[in-house]
Amino acid sequence: MAERPDLTVDLGRGLCLRSPVMVASGTFGYGFDAPEVDRSALGAIVSKGTTLRPREGNAPIRIAETPSGMLNAIGLQNPGVDHVARVYAPQWATWDLPVIVNVAGDSVEEYVAVARRLSGVAGVAGLELNISCPNVESGLQFGIDPVLAAAVTHAVRAVTELPLIVKLTPNVTDIVAVARAVEDAGADAVSAINTYVGMAIDVRRRRPIVSRGSGGLSGPAIKPLALHAVWQVAADVHIPVIGVGGITTPDDALEFLLAGAAAVQLGTVNYVRPQAAAEIHAGITAYLVQRGLPDIRALPIRPVSALAHV
Amino acid sequence: MSVAVAPAVVAERSVAMAGAVELVIFHPPSAVAVAPGQFFQLAVSAPHTLLRRPYSAAWSDPASGRIGFIFNVVGAGSAWLAALGEGDELDLLGPLGRGFDIDGQRPAICIAGGLGIAVFPGVVHALIARGRSVMVLQGARTAAQLLPASRFAGADVQVSTDDGSAGHSGSVVDLLTQYFAPPLGEGRLGAVDILTCGPTPMLTALIDAARRHEIPLSSIQVALETPMGCGVGTCLGCAAPRLAGGYLLTCQEGPCVRADRIDWGLMTDGFHG
Repeated sequence: MAERPDLTVDLGRGLCLRSPVMVASGTFGYGFDAPEVDRSALGAIVSKGTTLRPREGNAPIRIAETPSGMLNAIGLQNPGVDHVARVYAPQWATWDLPVIVNVAGDSVEEYVAVARRLSGVAGVAGLELNISCPNVESGLQFGIDPVLAAAVTHAVRAVTELPLIVKLTPNVTDIVAVARAVEDAGADAVSAINTYVGMAIDVRRRRPIVSRGSGGLSGPAIKPLALHAVWQVAADVHIPVIGVGGITTPDDALEFLLAGAAAVQLGTVNYVRPQAAAEIHAGITAYLVQRGLPDIRALPIRPVSALAHV
Repeated sequence: MSVAVAPAVVAERSVAMAGAVELVIFHPPSAVAVAPGQFFQLAVSAPHTLLRRPYSAAWSDPASGRIGFIFNVVGAGSAWLAALGEGDELDLLGPLGRGFDIDGQRPAICIAGGLGIAVFPGVVHALIARGRSVMVLQGARTAAQLLPASRFAGADVQVSTDDGSAGHSGSVVDLLTQYFAPPLGEGRLGAVDILTCGPTPMLTALIDAARRHEIPLSSIQVALETPMGCGVGTCLGCAAPRLAGGYLLTCQEGPCVRADRIDWGLMTDGFHG
């Protein structure tokens, strides 16, 4: 048997992960509530979307199951950045697993204030800018316009040395244009993609199931769509792309890595199969071993400029 | 938190009452760990379904390592579960959430509407085991949809049906209010613990009745049913409106909560099956 393959990932600015398997924002809380699993398979945790002030979230009903998918309109319920920095981060600092804080806001000023508050806080390994939450009044608009996306990225970049990931929305005509804009504005990596806007109607009660009407669709239903977005973005940008959308099995994760993703995030599957991360890590390892590949950087089926540099 | 996923085996499948299946699962660690009113997330593999299904344990027997679940078929997930048979494997996550507070000396009234009765066999057993006096008030559409009184050994069981085919004809809440005999003395009803589970309209009727009769809502514990995603507090999907503002998570702070914590005016119903 050859040496164990190298599954480490460099997302830039010193953010090196022991595994390409991350857990996506909103599916793992702040790392304290998820069921007991072997976390040695995880490369990083991305926290629930965090805003400047605490938010109560949307009125119920917040979620609905749809075919092979799930709609959610949680509305960014979170305890606010101060609580995260004071109470959660000191605990993260004792873990051997990096925690990346997902940052959300209604204005450039709010994103900047949250980023400032988290900068230099022990236990915070990086930021993921959520410029694409579909479930609050504003928020989405940053992600659908390359100019606004670049502006918020640039403003946050200016106030923090933390590794900066920008999470892209798929609810756009040209996701590559937004990816390119945030790369130029200083993002170290992009996550592709956030949920697709969708809805479901209760035919007996004659009303949308989710109280806000629409919600973000996640789960296996969106995997082919997410994969195509990653395929497009990875061909164009020079920073690492983190693939996310409906990944459930080792082969799902491999598809994203073959498409050019440097790492993957598991989302909805965390609700259903907490052991998925370990299985996916093992599956990627086995795949590399079987093919005699030394590391995951050998996986993309097309040249990926970002990976050639790391 | 030390909740883990565990493979378990179906030991028995039967019909608990008309329209409701009872699955008996053999899983000794869970049978020992579960408290009355707690729930499990059951994985389902029906085509195109995704999320686990939350079910309160109907009862558990640590000695035999068994747990019972009673449910009706309301969608693809519950239909898949209902089709399981003896020897089939089932993936459990739990026990989860907070059960009923069953300590104390007061007489207890367990009042359930429809499938809300499913949580009570184990609860009543635990109350009786603590030497408490227990009354079970069960409402259903028809007599056939009542869980037999033999499931509540030691309790005074009274029933109501919508069609009058058994017991009181009408709502189970009426059955309760007849015990709120006016005029209401200060101490009498405050000295009772009420434990309830049922459809949201029944619960809101119960709350209204309690207010009318000046029953303190703090003496009522409700097993909430809300749409649920993860069951452990990460998805934030199972929000229930809190009287103090904001929301509590049914999976973490519930499912069993004191009724005075909930804003009943904002409570909605509806969940996926």
